[in-house]
Amino acid sequence: MGKAIVITSGKGGVGKTTATANIGTGLAMLGYKVVVVDTDIGLRNLDVVMGLENRIVYDIVDVVEKNCRLKQGLIRDKRFQGLFLLPAAQTKDKTAVKPEQMLELVNELKEEFDYIIIDSPAGIEQGFQNSIAGADEAYIVTTPEISAVRDADRVIGLLEAKGMTNPKVIVNRIRLDMVKRGNMMNVEDIIDILAVDLLGVVPDDEAIVISTNKGEPVVSEENPMSSKAFRNICRRITGEEVELLDLEDGEGKFTKLIKLLFS
Amino acid sequence: MEVLSLKEELVSFRGIKEGIYIFIKKGDFKNIKKELQEKLIEYKDFYNGASILGIKSENLREEEIKELLHLIEDKFELYIEENGLPSYLEEEHYNIEINEGMTRFYNTTIRSGQIIEYNGNIVIIGDVNPGALVRATGNIVILGKLRGVAHAGIDGNKNTYVAAYELQPTQLRIGDIIARKPDEGFAMSNMPEVAKVYKGEVLIQPYLAKKQ
Repeated sequence: MGKAIVITSGKGGVGKTTATANIGTGLAMLGYKVVVVDTDIGLRNLDVVMGLENRIVYDIVDVVEKNCRLKQGLIRDKRFQGLFLLPAAQTKDKTAVKPEQMLELVNELKEEFDYIIIDSPAGIEQGFQNSIAGADEAYIVTTPEISAVRDADRVIGLLEAKGMTNPKVIVNRIRLDMVKRGNMMNVEDIIDILAVDLLGVVPDDEAIVISTNKGEPVVSEENPMSSKAFRNICRRITGEEVELLDLEDGEGKFTKLIKLLFS
Repeated sequence: MEVLSLKEELVSFRGIKEGIYIFIKKGDFKNIKKELQEKLIEYKDFYNGASILGIKSENLREEEIKELLHLIEDKFELYIEENGLPSYLEEEHYNIEINEGMTRFYNTTIRSGQIIEYNGNIVIIGDVNPGALVRATGNIVILGKLRGVAHAGIDGNKNTYVAAYELQPTQLRIGDIIARKPDEGFAMSNMPEVAKVYKGEVLIQPYLAKKQ
């Protein structure tokens, strides 16, 4: 029996889809059988980020309406065995699926997969309600901005009302230099407000933009900091204890050495 | 040389369009009673036959007001209107301190978009986050950080207060008075604080007046 995890945020543009793609891919790289589900009906993106857009024949609406079998709706990843995508429909809207149908779908997927990673749409309306319907756990993505943290707080409240009491937070797109200068909220501030567990911190990284455009989640690359951060998150999801990534690692050390030599 | 008495008058007769009522300031009941009797004797002829709407006081208990009304009726044969004070004067009837009564406890963080309302006092063991709203007819006590909006005395009672371990509300409302967080340059205190109404404004103090 697998575990269903919804990735949500309230606010748009904080990196839900990127996080979903990377966590899904990362878990598959660890050898698990994973399906990523896009519930952002009408504004589907996950297929693009995964680079699987041209393989779509059926989508989630076809599956819940039983126009096709579940197996037909699932798209196998082009690189990783054991990784599948269930894409959203682009021509319908959020009302095309009901929470009960989602619950049924997720339960069906749980029998087949170890992890079901559900990408939630922005907002707190029906699309959000659908995305959380079958989930066992929720991960909240937020950026170090007051507006994103505020929306994350709202979403945590809504999840608690639905009985999902222990959501975890991923702080995305943090910039250490700005935090140090006091121009950006730091992780402690965010956790202080949200009062939930931290799952991981992902630095702001150019490599994410490049990999997204290529349709290959960054987690499969060796070096970028964001990739390391996502790999750590995946290991934490599987129950391993991994220390928080030292964001000064990597390029920082080299510059530090140079600075040391010339100071 | 004669010393001018600067003693403030405790009792005054006030005329409004509905009639006359007696306004009594905060003070010792004995003095109030004495002053009222003196005044009634002094102006007995003037008020003869007039009807009194009632008594509005700053701190008298209901029994005390009743006693004074009886005194006026029996001893000075003034007529007290049955309808009492017009309702707009009654507003400040909750001049009794809210130190007891029904209390609701919440043992959780109150998050953005959540509203808590209770007819009585509210105690929250947790934080109140920005975007959350806590409303009580009585006092609000938060064993945590108040960063959202708290409204004590929602039915107009200005004697209620809001207390928190960290008082950094977006907005504070007590009775019908609204105070907001300054846009910049506000002092942070590292101790629990209490917000109450003082002279028509919301005043924030350390939880004990002596702690500064």
